[in-house]
Amino acid sequence: MDQRPDDVQLSAWLDGEGSAAERDQIAAWLEQHPDDMALVRQWAADRDALRAAFDPVLDERLPEALLSTARRHGRWWSGGGSRRGATLPGPRWAQAAAVLGLMATGGLIGAALVWQLAARPAAQQAAATGPWTHRAAVAHAVYVPEVRHPVEVSVVEGNAAEQRAQEQHLARWLTKRLDMPVRLADLRPQGFELVGGRLLPDASGPSAQLMYQNGKGERITVYLRRPEPGSATAFRYQRDGDLGMFYWVEDGLGCALVGALPRERLLAAADAVYRQMEAAQAQGGAAPAPGPSTPGRGASLPAPTAQPARTQPVPPTS
Amino acid sequence: VLAPELFRQQLISAMPRLRRYARSLVLDAGGADDLVQIALERALERWQQYDPQRELLLWLLSIAHNAFLDLRRREARFTVVDPQEAGARQDALGGDPGVDIGLRIDLMAALGKLSPEHREPLLLVTLEQLSYAECSELLGIPIGTVMSRISRARVALRAALDGRPARANAPVLRRVV
Repeated sequence: MDQRPDDVQLSAWLDGEGSAAERDQIAAWLEQHPDDMALVRQWAADRDALRAAFDPVLDERLPEALLSTARRHGRWWSGGGSRRGATLPGPRWAQAAAVLGLMATGGLIGAALVWQLAARPAAQQAAATGPWTHRAAVAHAVYVPEVRHPVEVSVVEGNAAEQRAQEQHLARWLTKRLDMPVRLADLRPQGFELVGGRLLPDASGPSAQLMYQNGKGERITVYLRRPEPGSATAFRYQRDGDLGMFYWVEDGLGCALVGALPRERLLAAADAVYRQMEAAQAQGGAAPAPGPSTPGRGASLPAPTAQPARTQPVPPTS
Repeated sequence: VLAPELFRQQLISAMPRLRRYARSLVLDAGGADDLVQIALERALERWQQYDPQRELLLWLLSIAHNAFLDLRRREARFTVVDPQEAGARQDALGGDPGVDIGLRIDLMAALGKLSPEHREPLLLVTLEQLSYAECSELLGIPIGTVMSRISRARVALRAALDGRPARANAPVLRRVV
């Protein structure tokens, strides 16, 4: 590319848009032009800041007014939707109407609503203030059903070499943001492939969620965080309905493995994660080897010291 | 005909992301949930228009977008956001304690300065991670317009965060392309 890509092209590149050829050209330009690279990095930092600012909304407890709107039948309280165009009822009005309707139609619907409220999963209720294991369970429940955006940084696009680069990039990114060595456990012997990861808010700073999926589409998540000092916890198991969780806290790492699997299968995966983390600790830190990085849709940019992806030989995945 | 149970369950599953988008758009938590409330009511009224082949969240986001346009026409509080106040409220309501609060207030202020026409595509692509094609369909504007608005929004956001007026060749903050 001889001519500088304009802001529109650079911005589209950051968002993963454009053909492969266009993307390659812009990537090559950025490698040669540190000023433009710095600009795009700045935009990427702004994007990350926006996500960090609003992602906590995902973990907030859903307001009862909204839940009851979604649960109750559409029109029994509103007297038909034909007059709606002119005046939209605000939630206070709607709440009042809902309460009146509840009183008027009597016990049956009221009882059903109360039962539904009481039947809400404990994980959801504890979301705002509960211990970190609750946050791990909630994060699992929120992202596992996602079809299109289960992870923030995906490692399943492109060929084996590109996937390998994406994995290294993901590990480096999470290591940097969590400020602790993050290792991506290999669960292929247990039948689970890594899908990718995302950054989540936790009480003491960011935490990470890694998602794995097997051939049957079953998903498990690994939740990683920096523990509070003195909070070491032995390997433990808890179950809430279908959802099981193994978790442990050791020096420098809190880890939970969550999934709707039978205990034994979950244990096999948790055991593998535990052993791999142990081995990494024994090697004196689990920081991933520096390597090339490929920004994809929504991916973070490589750290300033990282080498550009396409000029580096990339070791193939096993 | 009333919306089936399954549809209402899907609505509840989609609600956290709908609320996140509304919050980023309106900035004020109360106003954002008012917007979500209206979007939910409209979705329940029109559930038969929903094509199950499409992703429910996209459909809900487009309803929220239209509701936001209606509200802006009707109510001043959806047009003019006081970013300082929104930032303070955001903090009072909790949120990620790991994020620097000063930065967050600045970010809210900068975001509040963007015109809604620029804010929406930027948020849909960065927060909701929609493609430009999805964004174009949802907002009912051409893809080229999506591209240029996002790029202008980025330049303007950065200028606001740097505390300088947007460059001479950059867009005026409240002008629509």
